[in-house]
Amino acid sequence: MPASAATDLGEVSDIDLVKRSQAGDTRAFDVLVTRYRGRIYAMTYHLIQNETEAWDLAQEAFIKAWRALPSFKLDAGFYTWLYRIAHNVSYDWLRKKKIQGDGEFDDEHTAHRAAAGAETAPKGDPSPDVAMRNAEVGQRIQTAIAKLSPEHRQVIVLREVEGLAYEEIAAMIPCSLGTVMSRLFYARKKLQEQLKDVYENTL
Amino acid sequence: MKTPSENHDLSRWLDSEMDETERASFEEHLKHDPALAKEAQEMRALSATLRSHLPAEMKMPHADFFNSQIQVRISQMEADEARSSQTASPSWTTLLRWLRQPWFAAAGAMALAVLSFVLFRPASVAPTQSTILSSYTPNTHVRAHTFHDAAADATVLMLDGLDAVPEEKKISGISVQSSEMEPEFASTTLYDAAGVRLLMISRDVAGTPMIWTKAPRG
Repeated sequence: MPASAATDLGEVSDIDLVKRSQAGDTRAFDVLVTRYRGRIYAMTYHLIQNETEAWDLAQEAFIKAWRALPSFKLDAGFYTWLYRIAHNVSYDWLRKKKIQGDGEFDDEHTAHRAAAGAETAPKGDPSPDVAMRNAEVGQRIQTAIAKLSPEHRQVIVLREVEGLAYEEIAAMIPCSLGTVMSRLFYARKKLQEQLKDVYENTL
Repeated sequence: MKTPSENHDLSRWLDSEMDETERASFEEHLKHDPALAKEAQEMRALSATLRSHLPAEMKMPHADFFNSQIQVRISQMEADEARSSQTASPSWTTLLRWLRQPWFAAAGAMALAVLSFVLFRPASVAPTQSTILSSYTPNTHVRAHTFHDAAADATVLMLDGLDAVPEEKKISGISVQSSEMEPEFASTTLYDAAGVRLLMISRDVAGTPMIWTKAPRG
């Protein structure tokens, strides 16, 4: 995604921007923020299900990344590294929430201003009926995900949103492949119970 | 309840984690197990529904503000590190940070106007050259302008497009003459000509922003 700010740096590769950032160039880091804020925010939002908290956590992830840049190895992918930081920040928040909230996860759920489906890249203007249907389905999905435990929510986001392979998910969490499969299965079963009427129209 | 082995096979098939041989074998198995085939079909439909409604990229609310806030925090971290060996001294970065907080703008026009009044008149800037260092409101239609009257030795902040200010929050007549900042407590206090505290901004131990204002005149 091209950067809207600092257009002269918008086409510069991640690795060059990282090198400049490591040298203290905050403008280069700003381009990286612009380039990845939408993906990082999507991840934190899907995990947290709260717009304000997701915004703050996404920002916290970028700040942590800035501070950790000196230790970043240039042969690694910047986004993967950044994503891991954002994931850890968000998951830590979720676990603390679980401890403080006795496992209740749907009480703080706040919907995004628009339905999840409406936040994707433009696909043309849907008819009002379709847009409304998308909004309803998006809301149902958000509500269902908000009721999942942090562990189940985590694997669903990593698999269904990010499309990570099992080994990548296992490395991200970290856990065994068997745990990944087990959590995915049970997370899907719980979503299946709540969303059956939503997806059965597509069968 | 299916056996763990079947559960894993179904997940692996669904997520394209099987090699060709395994996939062919599992799909052959599906043909002879209607219950499992139905389950597989439902799981696949669920997965497709989730993917179509959970975008991997979302529009960041207040995106420009998001970036600028990160830049401010980075600047502040660097300033804090540079200052760590020095005596704490007043700095505008803390005030800017407060001013840029979304909650702060939401706290009302009064706080925004008062703080801006001070910001726009740094001692090193000539009166007629008042500059807006930073402004933010959730409503993007709001525009900030300043006007400095040298004869009156006053700077006026104008916020065009703001909703009407409630009667109890009238801000006319407030004249900020000085300010004090305590970086250790991340607090800023504004005083009038008589040294009376007009506004104090700080955080509590949990990091929650707090604003104290002078009690309205009776």
